[in-house]
Amino acid sequence: MKKFLVYVIVGVVTFTIGYNVNLIYFPDLSPKQPINFSHKIHAGDNSIPCQYCHIYADKSTVSGVPNVQRCIGCHKIIKQDAPEIQKLQGYWDRKETIPWVKVYNLPDFVYFSHKRHVKAGVPCQRCHGDVAKMDRITRQAVLFGIPYARVSPLKMGWCLDCHTNGAKEFIGMQVKNGRDCWTCHK
Amino acid sequence: MAGFIELMLERFKVYREPGYYKRFDYWWAMVIDLDRCTGCGACVTACQAENNTPVVGEEECGKGRNLSWIRIERYIEGEYPNVKVKFIPVLCPQCDRAPCEVACPVYATYHNQDGLNVQVYNRCVGTFTCATYCPYDVRRFNWFTYNKKNFLKGNGGSSTSFEPPLDQQLNPDVSVREMGVMEKCTFCIQRIRAAKDRAKDENRPIRDGEIQPACVQTCPTKALTFGDLNNPKSRIAQLAGLSTAGDLHYLRESGSKISDISSNPRTYRLLEDLNAAPTIFYLKRVMKNGSSTAGHE
Repeated sequence: MKKFLVYVIVGVVTFTIGYNVNLIYFPDLSPKQPINFSHKIHAGDNSIPCQYCHIYADKSTVSGVPNVQRCIGCHKIIKQDAPEIQKLQGYWDRKETIPWVKVYNLPDFVYFSHKRHVKAGVPCQRCHGDVAKMDRITRQAVLFGIPYARVSPLKMGWCLDCHTNGAKEFIGMQVKNGRDCWTCHK
Repeated sequence: MAGFIELMLERFKVYREPGYYKRFDYWWAMVIDLDRCTGCGACVTACQAENNTPVVGEEECGKGRNLSWIRIERYIEGEYPNVKVKFIPVLCPQCDRAPCEVACPVYATYHNQDGLNVQVYNRCVGTFTCATYCPYDVRRFNWFTYNKKNFLKGNGGSSTSFEPPLDQQLNPDVSVREMGVMEKCTFCIQRIRAAKDRAKDENRPIRDGEIQPACVQTCPTKALTFGDLNNPKSRIAQLAGLSTAGDLHYLRESGSKISDISSNPRTYRLLEDLNAAPTIFYLKRVMKNGSSTAGHE
């Protein structure tokens, strides 16, 4: 019984340390953005399609952060008095870009094309999670209210899950040359 | 372990069973017309700029650590008034039966479906075996992380690469290699990939001449030509004299000499006797006998 208790205490302590280390040293999972932009309000409640703002997703390798004009286009009418919109108005008046923090960052040696994936019919949610339910964009997946794992690990094995045979359930066919190293590495 | 070996053998078979090349869409190859080459070295500079290859400096080059994926070999014949200079641009010929692929202990270099000899930088552990096996001496090793600021100066070197603002000119489509990684010519895989991307958007195969590696693009005399050898109508197939499908069969499967197959008598391959089956075809320089200077051959 005593031994069991020791195990439990050691386990809890280790878990707490590990959990906090994870939160402190891997803060990129849900970085704080300059404006508290809520995807839940935009994509969820008002169901604006992803590509209304991320306009390059099907045209380019990067999906593209919308410029300030695209935000202002709606927000010169909608909810002008909210404090976060005032911040946005400030950027617009100062003619500055908003320094958004990148959440999904791939290493330098990986070639990833949004265009190819969007055109093949891979849903955005497959990699980015259910963005429509996130207030702030996060890579932290939640199970029964407990943070665990990642929305997508962004590891090579995870990419290969689709590139070998898992793609069938999303796009209905196999990825051509999916296992060739130079398909993704550069 | 046994499973891994079986998998490797199975994958090796895919590339070696009869008619294997017909299943793949492309077979990238290059033709170098030595009659046109003036040895200006523009291709060397273009390659350096395109592929984020660091300029290692005089001292490192003196130690044989130069990092150029393409080089111009000079052959000088004769004594002063009657000097002949011949140039051969040498880059990785993406051998069909590459000795380097056999050598690699971690499978970091292999042959892909487009007939390219792939070097995977992430997998490379720097054993140097491939460079030792390469008969063309085209593989280059990163002795240092050259992109680190003042790294070479700290090590007694004379130059640095990519220090600001030079890091702004790095090609984003090519990774910057680190210390301990073997690298070599990729036939500008980023351009091939971009062309494939465009072609897929428009639902067509890649057109002949659509892809131009940096060296081909920059060559002022158009000595270098790049294209798809699986397409017998492509320009390089015409130049190399391999314009029938049977030629490819001989070339890829029976290991015949190019001089027996090609309809162009000038075609040859570098060090063909080694049977590495390189896919760069050189066109011999035709020289007039008794000429006096290099410019009037």
